[in-house]
Amino acid sequence: MSLAEILRFARALMQSYDLVAPRRKKGRITLGTLSDAADLELEFPPSVHSPKKFLFPHWDELFRFKLEGNVLLEAESAAPPRVIFGMHPCDLHAVKILDDCLFEGETDSTYRAKREATLLIGVDCVPDEHCFCTSLGTDRIASGFDLFFHRRDDKYLVQTGSEQGRQLLADHAPETMAREHEAPLALQVKQCKSHLQFPTESLPLLMKDAYEDPIWKRLGDDCLGCGGCTLLCPSCYCFNVQDKLELDLKEGQRVRTWDSCQFDQFAKVSGGDNFRASQSDRQRHRFYRKYKYLWDQHQRTACVGCGRCSRECLAKIKPTEVLNELFCQAPPQQQPTNPGSEYQPQMAKVERIEVISSEDRLFRLKIPEQFTFLPGSFLQVSVFGLGEAPFSIASAPDGTEEIELVVRRAGALTQALHRVRSGDSLGIRGPFGNGYPLEKMQGHDLLLIAGGRGLIALRSLMLALLSQRENYGRITLLCGARSIESLLFQEDLLDWHRSGLVDCRFSVNEQHNSWGIPAVDVSYLLRDLDIDASRTIAAVSGPPEMYRQINPLLFRLGLADEDIYLNLERHIKCGLGKCGKCRINNICVCECGPIFPYSSVKHMAEAIER
Amino acid sequence: MSRKITLNHLTRIEGHAHLVIDKKAGKIESCRLEVIESPRFFEALLKGRHFSDIAPIVARVCGVCSISHSMASLMATENALGIEVDPRAQVLRRLLSQGEILQSHLLQLYFMAVPDYLGIPSIFQLLNRRGDLFGRALRLKRTANRICELIGGRAVHPVTTTIGGFSALPETSELKQLRQDLVGTLPDLEATVELFAGFDFPEFSRPAEQVCLDHSGQYPLHAKRVISSCGIDQSVAQFKASIDEYIVPHSTAKMARTARGHYCVGALARVKNSHRRLSPMAQKVSKALQMDPATDNPFHGLKARLIEVVHYVEEAIHAIDDLLLHSFSRARATAMPKGGGQGVAAVEAPRGLLFHAYSYDQNGLLETADCIIPTAQNLASIEADIESLLPDLLDLPDEQLKQRVETLIRAYDPCLSCSTHQLRITIK
Amino acid sequence: MKTRIGFFDFTGCEGCQLTVMNLEDDLLQVLQLVEVVEFRELMSEEVSALDIAFIEGSITRRQDRERLQAIRARSKTLVALGACADNGGINLLASDQDVAALRRQVYASDAKHLQTETPLPLHKVVKVDYRIPGCPIDGREFLAVLQALLLEREPDLPSFAVCVECKLAEYPCSFDYGEICLGPVTRAGCRAICIAGGDRCRGCRGLVDNPRTSPYHRVLEEQGLNLQDILEQYRIFNIGEE
Repeated sequence: MSLAEILRFARALMQSYDLVAPRRKKGRITLGTLSDAADLELEFPPSVHSPKKFLFPHWDELFRFKLEGNVLLEAESAAPPRVIFGMHPCDLHAVKILDDCLFEGETDSTYRAKREATLLIGVDCVPDEHCFCTSLGTDRIASGFDLFFHRRDDKYLVQTGSEQGRQLLADHAPETMAREHEAPLALQVKQCKSHLQFPTESLPLLMKDAYEDPIWKRLGDDCLGCGGCTLLCPSCYCFNVQDKLELDLKEGQRVRTWDSCQFDQFAKVSGGDNFRASQSDRQRHRFYRKYKYLWDQHQRTACVGCGRCSRECLAKIKPTEVLNELFCQAPPQQQPTNPGSEYQPQMAKVERIEVISSEDRLFRLKIPEQFTFLPGSFLQVSVFGLGEAPFSIASAPDGTEEIELVVRRAGALTQALHRVRSGDSLGIRGPFGNGYPLEKMQGHDLLLIAGGRGLIALRSLMLALLSQRENYGRITLLCGARSIESLLFQEDLLDWHRSGLVDCRFSVNEQHNSWGIPAVDVSYLLRDLDIDASRTIAAVSGPPEMYRQINPLLFRLGLADEDIYLNLERHIKCGLGKCGKCRINNICVCECGPIFPYSSVKHMAEAIER
Repeated sequence: MSRKITLNHLTRIEGHAHLVIDKKAGKIESCRLEVIESPRFFEALLKGRHFSDIAPIVARVCGVCSISHSMASLMATENALGIEVDPRAQVLRRLLSQGEILQSHLLQLYFMAVPDYLGIPSIFQLLNRRGDLFGRALRLKRTANRICELIGGRAVHPVTTTIGGFSALPETSELKQLRQDLVGTLPDLEATVELFAGFDFPEFSRPAEQVCLDHSGQYPLHAKRVISSCGIDQSVAQFKASIDEYIVPHSTAKMARTARGHYCVGALARVKNSHRRLSPMAQKVSKALQMDPATDNPFHGLKARLIEVVHYVEEAIHAIDDLLLHSFSRARATAMPKGGGQGVAAVEAPRGLLFHAYSYDQNGLLETADCIIPTAQNLASIEADIESLLPDLLDLPDEQLKQRVETLIRAYDPCLSCSTHQLRITIK
Repeated sequence: MKTRIGFFDFTGCEGCQLTVMNLEDDLLQVLQLVEVVEFRELMSEEVSALDIAFIEGSITRRQDRERLQAIRARSKTLVALGACADNGGINLLASDQDVAALRRQVYASDAKHLQTETPLPLHKVVKVDYRIPGCPIDGREFLAVLQALLLEREPDLPSFAVCVECKLAEYPCSFDYGEICLGPVTRAGCRAICIAGGDRCRGCRGLVDNPRTSPYHRVLEEQGLNLQDILEQYRIFNIGEE
């Protein structure tokens, strides 16, 4: 539709509906009833209040009564037919949250009346510095609207989201019905200035351990207690109920008004006790309500990243900053030392070079100072003049000053590395990234699945496990490769197999191989596996196509999403979470990965699908 | 036989006063209007405060004329610091002042004065008996309040008035609605004129100098010159300098006089001095009320107020038309001045001439403040009127005598909260 | 019998009583339920006993104290009407100065009849049952308190700050314009009328029960204010609360 057609459509809507749209008032964008369709705007930053003010208004009559004790009869759906034209994806997500909370259990009929009488028309948003929807995946939406207008060049593509929406078009813009269906637009990639430095799925876990964190005390000290954050929040719905009488004192109404958990009276009970006596308690409650409690019920945050709370906060409390700070302090972040911090590498001496396959060489490096890391972490190796490339650490995190890397000859840089002789020095930076959670694995059965060069990271893991074998249950290794020839660490594999400490199973693609193992895909090894899924944590490392085959089989075995750890290696450049090269959707692999629990990447289209 | 007549806590006036009359052998020994309102020392409250805070504080001198105090204060500060005010903002300020005069006059006419002429103690008595009259009083007052609320943000103690103009402006649609409301008052005004035309105003006469502002070509409101019925024509600063304020032992309000003696300010002074500048409709009302512009009867202050009500309704409608024709945006001084200075300004408050004069230091902090209130300028005249009226009333029973005297005092509509909130530092 | 109410005033501007009069149609409705038995500004009557006395203004003299005590004695319920009566309001701006010196300064005289004391809010003289804050009061809040009293319910004032009303009305924050605003610590109930008028909050309704002063002062310090400046901000209406 062209803009002119949309305005005509809006004008037609105004005949039958109360048309709510953004308006400019005192230099701010506020939602209100439009009096002139020509004022309709389709591109605008977030409005001061969200559409909550129409669906769940601050002053909402629940019923009317007479003082003598009669409830006056009144139509339940007193809500006027209304169209909200200009719902950003985040606001649509917020409506879903309100739906979840207010329809759950005993349906809130006052809300339902308004919700059912209101049609929602979505438009793309213009994020500002406070928005962080891209971190929460709320920057786009597939359902929950009646119509959605996507900008395409100077026209708009209309997406219908409901039968009512289709009917609205048919009734008020009939000319569009004859037009051909067009393919949906490719998803726009937005980039918000504010963002979380970790996947949202980590939030509940992060919050679980943060209850006693000193950060709440600091927030409490900073907070003015004005409640603006919750009043402006599109999904906060805590309310108070009061009786308001007419001046004649004969009749009245019971009304619902917004309340705020940030008010000092909110958790006060009649005896005078206050269950959240300090502002710190109240701020913590707010964050837990937004990022944990609802997650536990509905597996989504109660925050949609619209940024309204931080936009209006006089004390400058910003959720992204608070959560990022919590995340940075969180214990799994084991990056205590970064010898080659930032961009400048440190020099490491090559102690020994070993040819481990036709194309691979193992480099044993003496590092300038020892560092700690988890299996799966990587180092950046420099060849001056040719650049830098990431390599998984193949050796155990044993605290020594020697590190092993495997370099396969491929491009100019790796060819140059193959020319290096022992005694030479190489530039290294790192270690970078998150590895496999050794601590969490303790006491569990472990299933390691390696495909091709994925074995490098798993070798580090296996060495770590074997060094403290008694801390772990059954360990099973499934290892696949193209050929025996390309199988890395053959000696190690045979050692492990013979030791009896590990149940090792192999597959290669070539028939009649020298090891006499079946020529099948590694996924076949999972078929007759006898494991106790409830005790098992899987560590998978291999090419992307392997995950697509393996993951469904692991689910079939009964493994939980959060117990499947994947190694999602990407083209890592800076290693510092800045350059954006290694991004999977909204996260940086170098910061949050490369080892991820499946639960935190399953919503990311770019993680495995392609 | 001597008797002492005392009226404690005079009612239906703004503020607290007693009237004490000593009578001996059929003659008045003395007559004192004892203003007992407690002094509030506003000058001291203001000293050292930043110029942006002065108007909101002095507005609190008086709830009835808070807008006049704000206007006079802002203008005095603007004069002191050399701040220009946009002509559109001046129109808006006039409209706001008109709203306040309407508020105040209507309150006084209906709620304070009407009971005297209908022989009842308060208008509440009319609630059930004369619902039409009560309703009309409230309707008229509501429209006057709307002006103040729309332009000033609130009916009492305005919030939008600021140095250089206004911090918030009305929407065009709101102005249009207000215009409609004002036009809608005309039937009620007609009925009010009819009511007052039927009142029996006492015969009484005492010549006095009548002083008001002069605004070339316009009925006075905010202006820079002062004129009087005795031919005075001076700048505001000049006239103010000629005022001598003094205190008397029986009153907490100061009294004012010039070298020529006592003088009167207020609606009567304005109508008398600027009769030809009244709107055509107000002129008609003047005729209907049989108002003689040369009158020396202070009881005619009521007529003058009603004439002004009609005049200012008409002027307010014109002001709105002016504003609608010349739309303007935020009318607020952008650059705030550095440095101090002295300035004086006067406005016509509902009860007459109101002067504010300030001096500021280099940091824009107030050094001295001086404020001359209309009622201070009228108090001596009120006493003189009572003294001259009393001989005719001495044979009346006390109750009737008191009633007549109170009626006279109310004809001046004295504002005693104002008059005790003296700002003047007099160091002699 | 209708509830008998009265209005009284002491040292103040009478703007709160005026606000009651300005309630117009609502006032008319209220008058069906109550009987106004005393209202000096509008009536000549006086009575011996009242159900509710609404009292405006501060107490500055011995004779005022006596008059207030007399009103207390004949009133079942006494309500402080407006800032001057509630916490002293603007009358206290000069409370740190010597009254005799002020008198000489303003009147150039120390005559006996001009003598006053440091202004007091009502509760320093008599028991105050309820209060309606603000300079002037908010007419709707007056109606709500009166309603509650007529229903024998405890009248309650908002416990949250003016910021809430600003956010609800979607007004821009004064701090965005570099204005110092007392909204974050001032009790709501005024519908943020000053912010609506483009002004800032000067705190006429007094502080909330638990003002978050230390974070608030940090915000002010970020605006370049020192402690002295901050206290000056509070002074206009909140001397009585310090």
